Amino acid sequence: MTRNFPALVAVARMQMRIFYTYRANAVFAMLLTGVQIYLLTVIWKAAYDDRTEVDGITIGQLLVYLTLANLQLRFLRPEMDEDIQERIRQGQIGFDLSRPVGYPSQLMAGAVGDMIAGLPLLLVGFPVAYIAGELRGPASLEAGFGYAAALILAWVVAALLNLLIGLISFWTVEMNGFRMIYTLVGNFATGALIPLWFIPDELRTIIQLLPFQAIAFIPVSIYVGEPATGSIGNALLVQAMWVGLLILFIRWVWNQAFRHTVIQGG
Amino acid sequence: MERLSITLALASASLRSEFQYRANAIMSVIGGIIYQLTGFLVVWIIVNRFNTIGGWSLSEITFLYGMRLTSHGIFYMCFSQLFELDRVLITGEFDRLLVRPISPLLQLFTRKLRVNCFGDLIGGGALLAFASRGVNIDWSPMAVGYLLLAVVGGALVEGGVQIAMGSLSFRFLNTIALRTTINEVFNQYGNYPQRIFPPLLQYVLTFALPVAFVAYFPASTLLDRSDELLVSPWLAAAAALVGLALFLVALRIWDRASRGYQSSGN
Repeated sequence: MTRNFPALVAVARMQMRIFYTYRANAVFAMLLTGVQIYLLTVIWKAAYDDRTEVDGITIGQLLVYLTLANLQLRFLRPEMDEDIQERIRQGQIGFDLSRPVGYPSQLMAGAVGDMIAGLPLLLVGFPVAYIAGELRGPASLEAGFGYAAALILAWVVAALLNLLIGLISFWTVEMNGFRMIYTLVGNFATGALIPLWFIPDELRTIIQLLPFQAIAFIPVSIYVGEPATGSIGNALLVQAMWVGLLILFIRWVWNQAFRHTVIQGG
Repeated sequence: MERLSITLALASASLRSEFQYRANAIMSVIGGIIYQLTGFLVVWIIVNRFNTIGGWSLSEITFLYGMRLTSHGIFYMCFSQLFELDRVLITGEFDRLLVRPISPLLQLFTRKLRVNCFGDLIGGGALLAFASRGVNIDWSPMAVGYLLLAVVGGALVEGGVQIAMGSLSFRFLNTIALRTTINEVFNQYGNYPQRIFPPLLQYVLTFALPVAFVAYFPASTLLDRSDELLVSPWLAAAAALVGLALFLVALRIWDRASRGYQSSGN
């Protein structure tokens, strides 16, 4: 791993340059996030009507939750899957596989570069989110640190899930429909549109068995002072468990995929 | 008449070509349905928990949502290729459309079919059917006829706006970002009773961007809620006519603008 580190850094930097070529798109996507945050906060305010608290969640906590969850989701969207699909379709995957660094590691390094390159977008994102929704400091100092840790784990879970979906391309390259379903179920199950507190019991039970809540609900609920499983420690533990499970699963899938590889063209 | 049969022939060819990759096409339709259902799920969960949004009951909001979705499905079935216009112009493909003996706009519309529109249509129809019993509407033939006209009118509103905006591409080539934003605003803000928005935004969504005419106005008319509106009930009731007018104006704008087409050469 350490031996390969310089190579992985190079991959990450390459991906950062790619990101900057498309920076206008990214700024634009941020404005769309603002449009969505505004709508969500208006709808929830209308739903709360003149109540200040429902199920122990104040309107203030809820608005901050919605704003932050949707803002951070914009930064937790690794897009390795399309990349993998495109490389396989065009046969370039052969080059990727012949490099001395494992392909999944290359992809994760690239995703790190992509994420770092996107950070300056916060300069647009914060004002947009502030105007469209409501931003406040964390519920406590403890919540602030807990959130920072949870956010990193959230990114790792998002990246691993995306990588896993991308690996399906090794079996079929026509997977747009499937990916769309995955994105949607995933978006909903992160809890960014409806915090899990308000989801009916049966549905919530299902969502809690999926990894997606680690991407938005777990970190942001820590931030507003209502951590998912009662304590910040437990919430982080759930995330860490998903990181472990996903890594094991990806290893297994990757071994299968590697054997299955077809290089198109050449 | 001949033009109609040519259009139908072109449309059915694009339908057949989509279903060449049958599994992917079916997944896209299912993806379309799930996409809309997760959107609706958010509304359903909120209204289920809080009983009303802006004084509208679950059935009423479902009805509004269903109307807008059906209109959007018709719009997307007929006009999805407007979102490919930039590419058609930049690659010079538009030259090819100009030398054929039917209108380039018609050829653009029938160029390709995005099958996820069927997801919108199925989803929208299901929501309407589901809501129709719960809402306080006397389903006389008049009311059914009004609903049908309103749904088509809604598609014409969206189509008109997108054609007019697409005309800008003849001059600026790259307007897709603007047009997808407008599409997003229609998709997101059109599904809710607009009285939850501040008055200024309601005016913007009526006169600057005619989102309210797609479904909110005709739905208010059918649900006998037009006294809540900021505009005259007559204007709201005539939404379908407004749609037709907008569409005809948009076609004129397109004709004007397309005269300024300069081929990108090849």
